[in-house]
Amino acid sequence: MNMPILATKLYIPVPRTKAVIRPRLMDRLNEGLDRKLTLISASAGFGKTTLVSEWVAGCDRPVAWLSLDAGDNDFTRFLTHLVAALQTIAENIGGSVVSALQSPQPQPIDSMLTILLNEISAIPNKFVLVLDDYHVVDAKMIDDALIFFLEHLPPQMHLVIATRENPQLPLGRLRARGHLTELRAADLRFTPGETAAFLNQVMGLSLAVEDIAVLETRTEGWIAGLQLAALSIQGREDIPAFIRAFAGHNRYILDYLVEEVLQRQPDHVRSFLLQTSILDRLHGPLCDAVTGQKEGNARLEALERGNFFLVPLDDRRRWYRYHHLFAEVLSAHLRADQPDQVAALHRRASMWHDQHGSPADAIRHALAAEDFKRAADLVELALPAMQRNRQEASVLGWLKALPDKVVCCRPVLSAGYAWALLSCDKTEAALDRLRDAERWLETTADSRERLEAPSAGMVVVDEAAFHGLPGTIALYRAAHAQALGDIPAAMKYARRVLDLVPEDDHLRRGSATALLGLASWTNGDLESAYRTFADGMANVQAAGGISDVIGGSIALAEISIAQGRLRQAMRDYERGLQLAIEQGDPLLRGTADMYVGMSELCRERDDLHTAAQHLLKSKDQGEQAGFPQNRYRWRVAMARIREAQGDLDGALNLLHEAELLYVSNFFPNVRPIAALKTRVRVAQGRLGEAFGWAREHGLSVRDDLSYLREFEHITLARVLLARYKSDRAHLSVLEVLGLLERLLQAAEEGARTGSAIEILILQALAQQMQGAIPAALVPLERGLTLAEPEGYVRIFADEGQPMEALLKSALKQGIARNYVRRLLAAFSKIEGKTSVNQVLSEPLSERERDVLRLLRSDLSGPDIARELGVSVNTLRTHTKNIYDKLEVNNRRSAVRRAEKLDLL
Amino acid sequence: MTNHQSSKTDASEAFVYQIRIKGHLGPWRSDWFEGLTIRLEENGDTLLAGPVDQAALYGFLRKIRDLGMPLLSLERVKSD
Repeated sequence: MNMPILATKLYIPVPRTKAVIRPRLMDRLNEGLDRKLTLISASAGFGKTTLVSEWVAGCDRPVAWLSLDAGDNDFTRFLTHLVAALQTIAENIGGSVVSALQSPQPQPIDSMLTILLNEISAIPNKFVLVLDDYHVVDAKMIDDALIFFLEHLPPQMHLVIATRENPQLPLGRLRARGHLTELRAADLRFTPGETAAFLNQVMGLSLAVEDIAVLETRTEGWIAGLQLAALSIQGREDIPAFIRAFAGHNRYILDYLVEEVLQRQPDHVRSFLLQTSILDRLHGPLCDAVTGQKEGNARLEALERGNFFLVPLDDRRRWYRYHHLFAEVLSAHLRADQPDQVAALHRRASMWHDQHGSPADAIRHALAAEDFKRAADLVELALPAMQRNRQEASVLGWLKALPDKVVCCRPVLSAGYAWALLSCDKTEAALDRLRDAERWLETTADSRERLEAPSAGMVVVDEAAFHGLPGTIALYRAAHAQALGDIPAAMKYARRVLDLVPEDDHLRRGSATALLGLASWTNGDLESAYRTFADGMANVQAAGGISDVIGGSIALAEISIAQGRLRQAMRDYERGLQLAIEQGDPLLRGTADMYVGMSELCRERDDLHTAAQHLLKSKDQGEQAGFPQNRYRWRVAMARIREAQGDLDGALNLLHEAELLYVSNFFPNVRPIAALKTRVRVAQGRLGEAFGWAREHGLSVRDDLSYLREFEHITLARVLLARYKSDRAHLSVLEVLGLLERLLQAAEEGARTGSAIEILILQALAQQMQGAIPAALVPLERGLTLAEPEGYVRIFADEGQPMEALLKSALKQGIARNYVRRLLAAFSKIEGKTSVNQVLSEPLSERERDVLRLLRSDLSGPDIARELGVSVNTLRTHTKNIYDKLEVNNRRSAVRRAEKLDLL
Repeated sequence: MTNHQSSKTDASEAFVYQIRIKGHLGPWRSDWFEGLTIRLEENGDTLLAGPVDQAALYGFLRKIRDLGMPLLSLERVKSD
């Protein structure tokens, strides 16, 4: 279900047939096409929209137009309409952005914009996008989005912004770099020549030169003032007298002239103008409903013909709006003349919109009428559609405008409020609203036997939603608990959802089931976690949440890995990737994460080359193709490759970065980065820091064991073993062996074969340290038996020389011969490696390698750009990235370093 | 040098502000500028004055922008 697009917002105003020709401004607009941005910034009434629409009509590039309004401060609405505007140029653009906007998981804005920019850069021809009335935007998110857009603007696109105040963009920087053309009030005001042409030709007056000069002086070329003056003059007997009076008056031009114009209208016209001034958009039947008059259509057409500041919003003359300035004065007059009428007018407008399927307008007018009961009814009924379209910001705006006492007696509305708050990450406030909703359910349950009627004071409009409310509340409760990390509560509520929600409600059932699966995972009950989570994902997929299902394969794969099922884990990732490809959208969210997961599995099999390739592929997908967690997961995966290559410092640096980028999600954090860092430190012999970590996390050999802390406890065993290796204190090895025995038992009970293999390896190494080789071979053989079918290599190879010796002993004993030979080959490979530092901390992308090859040639920058078919700016970005990665600051040293590292 | 005055400036606190705009406003404008006195000066300016907090002040400035009225000056005056 798509969010409704208001076509009138995309309508390019058609210039009037009679208009002042302004070649000086047209020339500047045309010249500006070579730059990124044209900014038309001037107060109301300077003819901004008219100018742009005239220019657009004669422009040889296709133009997309978006008229902004206050509702566009809701980012979803803004971006949806922006895409719709772009689709008037390129039909197929923005499909994935729109679906991302509707996905139940909020998507990072930069990612969506990057996708859009990539699609724009594929448009074959140059075009113009006009954002009109940008001053209504005061959402920082939208300013930021525009800044991002301008920074990465493909050469195909030119942006025009018309606004009453300077937008919050880095104008100084844009100006300094020659990206900006500006037209301001001084440029827009009519010159004496244009004033004469406007008054006498366009407005059909025949004024004397001196009268024109007086009007020009009095209005200072302000176009709205001149138009109003012309309206006041039309049909007057004594024009010079009017002009003298106007010039001699101190009154604000707009007030003076609108009064003049209004006074000269017959009563019914005057009353029509005032009463319809409450409407953002005018439409014949709507005007009739509001004014109680008839023939609204004819009236609107007549006003347009009479130059009454009426702007058509479509070709068929169905919708209009007043010029903002004129509407402003009319509505001030309405409030002064008929203050008691205003609420009733809004109420009528609200009713008309409700009957004609535009709930948002109906709600807006009900709120303006301060008819809160009506507004609350309307919001409650609009909730399902708003939730499907993820317009939580709009819902939140409406609900905040309602008095609390109107909301809290409405359980359905209160639950909707909780949804909007949870979606906006306001977990605390959401709980209060959930309690409001629950209070009414408790009351109804108690009183059901006593009386059939609903409990006194409760208001419900959406009966169906009320019947489903217990399930809805339980799902919000589960999400709330999960967000706070309260697993038992999350499970309790998720189960309640399944009891309450019907079979065919795939999304709610799927979400609740997946939450249950995650809870089992957190508790270490992997078998059931895998089954339950997969079941939940199947439901989510049936409800169309593909991106969530792709993300879900990470959970499935990680559970498989803990179970020691590496092949299954690979299938889980491959399936996620397949899903993305089937969508025909290789950039679908989660594809980058799949490559990272596959990389880790390749690393474990000691296929480091493929592992690195996968990471490169993930990076090439761009950040928009990854979930927020991918940035740290990528670094962890790279760190472990480094570790396998023996570059421990490099690994540690990457883990530091990963720690900074860590973002939690609903998944349990079963492999904390701090523990990974400790393992590298142990390998470096930095035992002091390793013990510091153990102390900081309160770890000891006597702890109760749980799956959530298993990785940390195994790490602790490694720290203690390393100490034993240096101090040889008998007591400490007994402690470790005791801990390992308990860990092994817990892992076996939980069927966590992956953990069991590692624990058995550590037991073997501990025995070996004590010189008990036969005793060491017992756990080693068990470990080998478990590991062989799944193709583990690094889990042994990472232990280095002691493990190599142990495996050689095993080989002599004839234990798992073929497998052990394969493993031993992995050890010799490491020693054969000469320079591990040859790998960059961040690998170059394919594109960057192309650029690097050309940098080695004699071609100039612009020539290289041409060769690659990119702009000089894009080339500059690539070169800068290459320099950063190679840690150089000029072309020559970049080439030299690349040659040394054999990157070319 | 310390500036004692600025330490008192709190966005939630109301001060008396004077806004000078060019041209005389019609009397029916007063409900747009609720809480401000509207004085029409002989030189053709309109002086809006009254105790407002920062949020209200920005609201009035936006209103003036939307009316397309030239803003001549804005100052904070002593409240007594």
